[in-house]
Amino acid sequence: MKSHQCEFNAADLLAAVAPPLLPLLLFAAAMHLGAASGRLPAPRPILDADRTILLHQAEASRQPTPAAVLLLGDSSCLMDVWAPRLQTALDQPVLNLGTLSYLDLPSLALLLEQYTAANPGRTPLVVLLMHPESLRLAGLPAYHAAVLRHYLAGRDAPPTGHLLARFDRILGLDIFRGRLWTRLVPSPLPGEFGRAYGFTWDLWRSLDQHAGSAVDPHRFDPTTARGNAEYRLAARLETESRIFRQRLPPHTRLAVGLTPAPESFVLPDHSATCRQILAQWGAWLEADALLTQLPATRPAAEFASVTHLRATGAQRFSADLASLLRPLLSSVTQPSAPDNTRPAPSGLPLQLLHHAWPQDAPTTGPLP
Amino acid sequence: MLFNSAVFLVFFAGFLLLYYLVRHSLAARNALIVVASYAFYGWWDWRFLSLLWISSLVDYAVGRALEPPRPDRHRRAWLALSLIVNLGLLGFFKYYGFFVDSFIALLDRLGLDAEPRLLRVVLPVGISFYTFQSLSYALDVYRRQLTPTRNLVSFLAYVSFFPQLVAGPIERARHLLPQFERTLTLTRTQLVTGVWLILWGMFKKVVLADNLAPLVELVYGQPAHAAPLVALGTIAFAFQIYCDFSGYSDIARGLASVLGFELRLNFNLPYLATNLREFWRRWHISLSTWLRDYLYVSLGGNRHGPSRTRLNLLLTMLLGGLWHGAAWNFVLWGLWHGIGLLVHRWWSERPRATPLPQPEPHPAPGRQEPTPPQPPNPLARQLLAWSLTMLVVGYGWLLFRAQSWADILTLTSALAQWSVPPWFASYALNLAAFTLPLILMQSWQATTKDLLAPLTLPAWTRALLQGCLLTAIVLFWRKDSTPFIYFQF
Repeated sequence: MKSHQCEFNAADLLAAVAPPLLPLLLFAAAMHLGAASGRLPAPRPILDADRTILLHQAEASRQPTPAAVLLLGDSSCLMDVWAPRLQTALDQPVLNLGTLSYLDLPSLALLLEQYTAANPGRTPLVVLLMHPESLRLAGLPAYHAAVLRHYLAGRDAPPTGHLLARFDRILGLDIFRGRLWTRLVPSPLPGEFGRAYGFTWDLWRSLDQHAGSAVDPHRFDPTTARGNAEYRLAARLETESRIFRQRLPPHTRLAVGLTPAPESFVLPDHSATCRQILAQWGAWLEADALLTQLPATRPAAEFASVTHLRATGAQRFSADLASLLRPLLSSVTQPSAPDNTRPAPSGLPLQLLHHAWPQDAPTTGPLP
Repeated sequence: MLFNSAVFLVFFAGFLLLYYLVRHSLAARNALIVVASYAFYGWWDWRFLSLLWISSLVDYAVGRALEPPRPDRHRRAWLALSLIVNLGLLGFFKYYGFFVDSFIALLDRLGLDAEPRLLRVVLPVGISFYTFQSLSYALDVYRRQLTPTRNLVSFLAYVSFFPQLVAGPIERARHLLPQFERTLTLTRTQLVTGVWLILWGMFKKVVLADNLAPLVELVYGQPAHAAPLVALGTIAFAFQIYCDFSGYSDIARGLASVLGFELRLNFNLPYLATNLREFWRRWHISLSTWLRDYLYVSLGGNRHGPSRTRLNLLLTMLLGGLWHGAAWNFVLWGLWHGIGLLVHRWWSERPRATPLPQPEPHPAPGRQEPTPPQPPNPLARQLLAWSLTMLVVGYGWLLFRAQSWADILTLTSALAQWSVPPWFASYALNLAAFTLPLILMQSWQATTKDLLAPLTLPAWTRALLQGCLLTAIVLFWRKDSTPFIYFQF
């Protein structure tokens, strides 16, 4: 017995299957033409938490913002420093441009270049804060740095290496997502971030409202924490740090510090290790000041994860940071000393390196 | 293997090619379907193919053994064998952990410390669906409503037919089995219908259900919200589960259709129901009719007086709830619907207080014929009935989706609180974006009373519509394909 018989021919089959493909091809053509002709809005692919943070900070770096303190760094800088608290404590405007651990130092320098270009004549105190965890990462994925560069250049986000991502590019799907969909409907954030911030647009708004700072809503559980607590500097950092330094605008004062880890997680000699790391890293960066007095550890209850503080921890850490930065800021706003032998203010809780504050250097504008 | 995965696309393309090559032999076609279906199922875990075989072979053997002439006593024994094997497999793999955990919890509450050596059993995908499908064959043969098949390959193909193997529709042997035993005619209409159903089903799953899932998770992941968000979260889940499950059913029916088979309708605009009874005639039709025919009727149905009828109804819904999952919230969900159906039955059968005026039998010549009596404002009544039904169904979804008793209490008490999070507007916007396409389509289907209304469009308009669906599917396709909700049942 026959299995089946068809009452249609190849033309019927083609007529049933092919027509839906045509609108898809028209869509792809429209997206590519729209992007090439500039008829579509500029790319702003805030489609997940990472890209929302990254692109928000990129956008913030391009705004004319009178910041006396500019924070740069990884996600611990973003989450551990509560900029409004720091601002109140210092009575000076602060901008937090902390981003992600996956971003290399040259990318952070790129943010600083954007800031300087948007705020000519201002030379804020740049505070570079990283977690020891970020400093030991041997290699970083290039994707986030590429997203940042593409965004700043007004180009669509680069495709990931996945095969489907290449189809996305050919069919213009990423153009639609990054230029139109992102402006039509916000994307929900997963897990605790979702419950705290909701959606990408709301996270963006919150970053706007809090001078670039965010709060990690998780809760650190010391009993389940796993990981390697032996911290060291990755070799790649030497080159990256030198590039970072070279790309700092002239007369920029750079203070460098490490963010804390949970007391219960680290090894007994963690504080000493951090001092060594900071000294070496500071040397590579030719930093003007090392924030050696920042706490290397905090109680586990103050943490959201090994690398991020919770809201209360961030408040305390911001207060600690403010107490370190206050004398630093006041010293540089004082009239210039006649020579370079200005002693560090009494009890200054930081280590001034051989690159002392450029008291004799011409300032292009007063600090706000 | 998931319909919404790249590997299935490759699988189905290869299958179609082989299907075309075996078009001259019915036996080869059925053998191909069996092999492909086992590959489809074994892709998840080949070890559980043994359960599929056991269920199929036992019911095939029982079917043969039930062939007349047989004394009733023997027939009952053979049927008992089928019930024991099928329900035994289902009971062990699906409910063993649940009952043991519940028993330990009970002992714990009684102050008895029990630490038994527990066996953690993996739930085989689709076991509830294929055991019910296989069992219905034995039951139909026992009831002499079906002549048992002698063709083992046809029967294996019937139980394992891959388009509907893991999440239904639960087919009846009377409907599907004969299709494996005759030459199929594949018409152009079937092809066009199949393509439409696949696209529309995929759209519902990939675009709507998968984008509603994070909205539901925001509310149900860690429930501590107030009424507005719980309400929106429950609406999101109502749409998610409908789009997910009916999407699967549509894809299954579409795939079967392009192969020349016809599967039963599983959903018929359930959210337009104006009472619970109607809802269950429109929702998961293949399960509700299965439960009616093989459980409710077997319990006595409405043949033993009102009290027994009510009990049977409640029991059927309770077990229907438990079929969905081995957890107390599913039992509670079944109970909730059972009580709802009883209330509806009472309401619709209550004696009317004021009888409606009867029209005159023969109006006098020249007099205008009086208008027939109308219930006051039927639209308002319909709207009220629909709202009440949706409230009951909606709260049922809350019970269904909650993860624990504590969650049920938290979410229920949250309904009495009023506050909104700062991201409420974003939530509402997302919900609107991912429900509006379904609302528009179903309004059209309801207005035209035709579930295939889009196929009545002119060719170019239909192509445009299908192209839009295809573009949206490609746009929202995730490389980490999300499984269908009903796979876990």
